[in-house]
Amino acid sequence: MPNPYIPYLTTVKSIVSENKVNDIKTIELEFKKEEDYKKFDYIPGQFAEISLIGKGECPIGIASSPTEEGTIMFTIKKMGTVTSGFHNCEEGDIVGVRGPCGNGWPVEEMKGKNIVVIGGGFAFSTLRSLVIYLLDEKHRKDYGDITVIYGNRDPGEVLYTDILDEWKKRDDIKVVLTIDREAEGWTEEVGFVAPIVKKVGPSSDNAVAVICGPPIMIKTTIAVMEELNWGPEAILNSLEARMKCGIGKCGRCNIGNKFICTDGPVFSLAELKELPDEY
Amino acid sequence: MEQKILKKDQIGKLYNEFVGEYNFFAPINKKGNVAFEKIENPKDIVLDYLNSKIPPKSVLFPQNEVLFEYTLDEKDVEITDRQDLDQKILIFGIRPCDAYSFELFANFFSFHGNSKDEIYLKKKENTTLIGIGCNNPRSTCFCTSVGGNPFNKENMDVFLTDLGETYLVEGISDKGKKLIQKLPWLSDASKNDLKKAEELAKTAEESITTKIDVDAIVKNLETSFEHSVWDEISESCIGCGSCAYLCPTCTCFDVIDETDHYNNRGRRIRIWDTCQSCLYTMETSGHNPRDTKIQRCRNRIMHKFSYYPTNYDLLGCVGCGRCVIVCPANNDLRVILDKIKNIEKKEGEKVVA
Repeated sequence: MPNPYIPYLTTVKSIVSENKVNDIKTIELEFKKEEDYKKFDYIPGQFAEISLIGKGECPIGIASSPTEEGTIMFTIKKMGTVTSGFHNCEEGDIVGVRGPCGNGWPVEEMKGKNIVVIGGGFAFSTLRSLVIYLLDEKHRKDYGDITVIYGNRDPGEVLYTDILDEWKKRDDIKVVLTIDREAEGWTEEVGFVAPIVKKVGPSSDNAVAVICGPPIMIKTTIAVMEELNWGPEAILNSLEARMKCGIGKCGRCNIGNKFICTDGPVFSLAELKELPDEY
Repeated sequence: MEQKILKKDQIGKLYNEFVGEYNFFAPINKKGNVAFEKIENPKDIVLDYLNSKIPPKSVLFPQNEVLFEYTLDEKDVEITDRQDLDQKILIFGIRPCDAYSFELFANFFSFHGNSKDEIYLKKKENTTLIGIGCNNPRSTCFCTSVGGNPFNKENMDVFLTDLGETYLVEGISDKGKKLIQKLPWLSDASKNDLKKAEELAKTAEESITTKIDVDAIVKNLETSFEHSVWDEISESCIGCGSCAYLCPTCTCFDVIDETDHYNNRGRRIRIWDTCQSCLYTMETSGHNPRDTKIQRCRNRIMHKFSYYPTNYDLLGCVGCGRCVIVCPANNDLRVILDKIKNIEKKEGEKVVA
């Protein structure tokens, strides 16, 4: 077995700003060695430890879908030393990648079901991965109706606008976009995610809901879902924590006896109810 | 015969037999404290210590450890893996509790997820332990309450018993038995030597008077996550983390890059870390899942006495008592465990963390 702390080396293929305030960028990476790319066999909802060698490493959800072949993508908010380093990257720069880490969205168990994807703000990255995966021609027939409800503070914060436009043109996916307060030129929903979910009223019948966003959004949305008769097994969350290793060794991402990095990051609401409230 | 006798003045001779083949580690006196170090001069070895201040986990899991090295070019990076993991390591004079902690480490580092910690596991595989029984356990020792014993030979390759003028030498594992065969100059042990060793082991075991009902504690912890006892337990804690740093079973680490910018090279290293630090779980957003001392103290105890038994059917404590000795606030693990054993369940009572 090889040293698990050594990353694959990739080069930056493209880097694009995702929002008006320019603190979120999506970075596209190409593996230097084809064999490393083959080993990096992932599903939506997994994450990777990505690093700028010499600056440091951090865990980031994979924004690309395995169906988008050839490269992988990460959407990164500028926060500290490492994420700022990523924002300053140029094409051709070297990035280390370890992973894929974590369990990911249970795309196999979700087969045959209607899928409701609810996202808030910047947490949409692994949901992007999931929806692209579900809509891929190889997979679309395996799943029922797909509904996406995606909320942001204001229109300038909406990620992946090109892809959202593509989804809106399709007739096999329902896309509901909302912003917190009215803004000039905005023609879609206005309001927090939870009341919009209530308005859309997704049926819990043979369905799975995937919810990602800031804690307050998750909390209020889950309350609405419970009102709509959704059971805790059918609601999936992806958790975050400070992490160093991503492989269950450095210790800090535990909730009770589980590690977010290896037992998660995806947990059903039923599983979370069994764990201490320490996340 | 696999029981031999080593004279006390022959330790240097034993050292010379192995030093070329092995990196030879043993306890030495370092600035007034006993710690396991690589031995240059066998005269430095001290075996009449009670227990080392820094546990010998530092040999296989040093406080700072290189994960890999790198060189940085204008537009390229070269990574160099560890080259030294195949070196053979001999740890001489390790105590039974610490030898057992190596098993816990190996278990933890090979458990979660698909990735094993090959750095630790390779070193462990290449390590030979020549341990020694504890004739005079410290007042803080409680190995007998957590499944151990001052003369537990299970995790050793070779086991020594201090008979006064000499050491009784016993080969335990196959590796240890072969090792003894390389020392034909050892004399055979007599029946009297064996009898004396047995008596010493019995006296040592009886001298440990602390009796902790670990089963009751593990059971109580299953339902006590929100009990007010944690408020009481954490009250005197100052959050220094000494208990965790010097715990032979604590494995947590931080990872950083150390770069020499003048020479465009550096290394990614791991450093001992502790769940007792508030920064340990602090997220970039500012959110901290274990923001309070109550939560952090609870995590340390829960990890060793509840999460460990749940996940691996083992206890995460070897009873060495280092955390008891080193705590500057006298927060005694034995007292903590006693409080947990005696908690009374009150309906509806929840600690506000």
